[in-house]
Amino acid sequence: MNEAQNRIVFEDVSKFYGDVLGVNRVNLSVPPGITSLVGPNGSGKTTLMNLMTGLVQPTRGRISILGIAPDDPERLFRVVGYCTQFDSFPRGMTGYQFIYSYLRLFGYAHAQSSELAMRAIERVSLTDAAGRKIAGYSKGMRQRIKLAQAICHNPSVLVLDEPLNGLDPLIRAETIALFRALAAEGLHLIISSHVLHEVDVISDQVILLSNGYVVAEGEIKGVRDEIEDHPMQVLIRCDKPGELASQIFHNDYVVEARIHKDRQGVLVKTRDADRFYLLLNKIAQNGIEIESVAPADDDVLSVYEYLIGTEESTK
Amino acid sequence: MAVHKRSYRSYAGALTPAWSRFTIITRYAFKNLFRSKMLTAYFVCCFFYPVGCAAALYLNHNLSFLSIFKVHEIFAVDADFFLHFLGVQSFFAFILMAIVGPGLVSPDLANNALPLYLCRPFSRAEYVVGKMAILVWLLSLITWIPGLILFLIEASLSGAAWAWANLGLAWGIFIGSAIETLVFSLLSLAISAWIKRKLAAGAALLGVFFFGSGLAQVINAVLETKNGYLIDLGNLLTTVDASLFGHTDVVNARISAGSAWIALIAACVFCVALLERKVRAYEIVVG
Amino acid sequence: MNERPWGLWWTQVRAVMRLELKKTLFSRRGIWVYFLAFVPVIIFAAHSIYMMKLGRAGDIGEDTHTFAEIFQLFYLRLAIFFGCVGIFMNLFRGEVLDKSLHYYFLAPVRRTVLLAGKFLSGLLAASVIFGTSMVLQFVALYWYFDSSTRQEYLFHGHGLAHLAAYLGVTLLACLGYGAVFLAAGVMFRNPLLPTAAVLVWEAINAILPAALQHISVIFYLKSLCPVTIPGDISLDKGNPLGFIAMNPAPASAVTAIVGLLALSIVAVAFSSRQLRHMEIDYGSD
Repeated sequence: MNEAQNRIVFEDVSKFYGDVLGVNRVNLSVPPGITSLVGPNGSGKTTLMNLMTGLVQPTRGRISILGIAPDDPERLFRVVGYCTQFDSFPRGMTGYQFIYSYLRLFGYAHAQSSELAMRAIERVSLTDAAGRKIAGYSKGMRQRIKLAQAICHNPSVLVLDEPLNGLDPLIRAETIALFRALAAEGLHLIISSHVLHEVDVISDQVILLSNGYVVAEGEIKGVRDEIEDHPMQVLIRCDKPGELASQIFHNDYVVEARIHKDRQGVLVKTRDADRFYLLLNKIAQNGIEIESVAPADDDVLSVYEYLIGTEESTK
Repeated sequence: MAVHKRSYRSYAGALTPAWSRFTIITRYAFKNLFRSKMLTAYFVCCFFYPVGCAAALYLNHNLSFLSIFKVHEIFAVDADFFLHFLGVQSFFAFILMAIVGPGLVSPDLANNALPLYLCRPFSRAEYVVGKMAILVWLLSLITWIPGLILFLIEASLSGAAWAWANLGLAWGIFIGSAIETLVFSLLSLAISAWIKRKLAAGAALLGVFFFGSGLAQVINAVLETKNGYLIDLGNLLTTVDASLFGHTDVVNARISAGSAWIALIAACVFCVALLERKVRAYEIVVG
Repeated sequence: MNERPWGLWWTQVRAVMRLELKKTLFSRRGIWVYFLAFVPVIIFAAHSIYMMKLGRAGDIGEDTHTFAEIFQLFYLRLAIFFGCVGIFMNLFRGEVLDKSLHYYFLAPVRRTVLLAGKFLSGLLAASVIFGTSMVLQFVALYWYFDSSTRQEYLFHGHGLAHLAAYLGVTLLACLGYGAVFLAAGVMFRNPLLPTAAVLVWEAINAILPAALQHISVIFYLKSLCPVTIPGDISLDKGNPLGFIAMNPAPASAVTAIVGLLALSIVAVAFSSRQLRHMEIDYGSD
């Protein structure tokens, strides 16, 4: 299998809804693992997912999902599962019937459809409610049955639009564990979420969107390193924070050194992290006992704030 | 020791009278409806005929205009004139109901908005009256209000004697329009409440009139009766209007005015019962 | 060259049909279609019971003529017409309004195959409902005649031929109107406008130029009806539905059947083309 056939590729993709911009000039190449789409309302997250799955067609550009074009549903949906944000279902069906009938559309026989349906329902912990009508499900249960529908045919690419919405903390943790397990199996997971700390915990890479444009993509640390406008923040835990601050402050690549609120460390802002770490090694040999050194702003929340701004509400 | 700082203060100002709260729904609905240029244009068109009639009444009494044709009057202002006026305006009212009616309750049901209304000091009856007032106002503005204005114009031009002699016509205009408005409003509300999809509700509303009319014909033809008219709402309204204006020939050709009245009242009661069942703050989902 | 997976497509068509037939035939939403279809049966049955109770001998010729009028002016133009509006427009537009069409689009099913499955299920459901009603109407209408008259009419007269012809016209009506409303449902957001447009088009068919008459369903259907009703007939002259009671000049049976099939194929092919480019956009509906 060549590289392109194991990636989700967008080449100069734009989508306009009449005069309204959906996404513009998107170029992406997404490897396996968990990739999060992050951005405020209307930034183009759902449009990107709908483009990936052929629910909408690009105004220009080319998309390829593991080498398959989205306008070829017969091949595409053998390898792709999509959990949409639409909270609607075919009328009058039980959870089991919903998954089972969907699998029958694949051409599976009764026994195989039934087995796959039950397995998917079990994976999302809905076995007890499988025989109940979906209309009577809670929000979290509806979210999980949609997830079951997306994973029931064992796809290689899972596209999940706000999959953690409406889930209680316990189920949320179970679902995140399920995502991790699926990613470990070599799947591509594309997740959009507005819960940034969860994105931070589960993602291998992020794609940040704003107003229809991709503003950053890649591993979160790599993205952070490339944001030169905002000095890197490092929290150093040590026994003599005041002395440490005075020793590092005169260096021109240190922008700010502030004693931490608990007086047990120093929060440093630096323009050159590599030179700063060399300096820190020297200081450590001069009698200050350093307990830990940790980056303080290489998480999704910080990157999001730096690139998109705090005033924009996340979805 | 815990300190509970109480910063919340509930509203303590003046409240609008409880009886007038249903008008909130009506007011906002009007605002929404007239955002549509199409509806506004159509609503304006509904006044063309009344304005034309008013002009005709004036010319009918204008001596210099009449002298051109050397006649006393161009047309007689009698029951036929007002019955025809009501017939034309009823057509406009029917179309208006078909446009506005389906969207009255169905969007609230489809979007689960009823609990939002009913969790406030706002009863089911107030909700229904508020919604109904939208159509009542709109239909009144194009039926009995211009009808009575025409009556007053004619009275002012012909004198008090004409007004006294034809007082029954004013009564006919008002009652005929009122029953039509009531039937149209209740029917649209009931259908809109039972069919969540606005478009399907619109189709059902047209179906009640068109299919009902066709079915009435079939019943009459096969069973050799006139009772089929009892399910033809359009015919029932025409029969009632004809009886109010003393047109016994129409009434005799169809069903008695009494039967038409009873059928229309039964239709209204049925619609109220449908509304009573459906307009609730909750929906039972068998899961 | 890849071989076309006909076996898989047929399996998928059957899977779609299984889902759709359940929705059309057994859902509460579809009850009104049964009402449209079976209300003439009730009326004819009431007529038969009434005649039997009075002990009156009927006139089979008169009843045959009444049946022809009701079939053409009511059953075809209102019951089957609006029934097909409900069944076929719902196939795609209903799913869009319910926001559930994307589940079909997310399955590995070619959109043409999906269309075929949905159309066949609609056709089967409409044919079963309206065909059954048609047969029952026939039975109910002639029930009150004594058995020898019935036997004579059915087996030695035109009875069975008429029944077969009416049944054929009913099925073709479901096919023709079904294809037209399937296309309208795929193409238009507001199904009321095309419905009204088709209703008016069908109604004014008789006064259109000959070439335009052929672009309608009712033209072919009326040509196939075994009993002709006069062009100016209306069940009631004062009836507001009188305007639909016009008769186009008839076409030959072969022309009518081929014309109707051609019209249906064009409408379904057009729907298929539209569906291939259809996007999921529930927001604007």
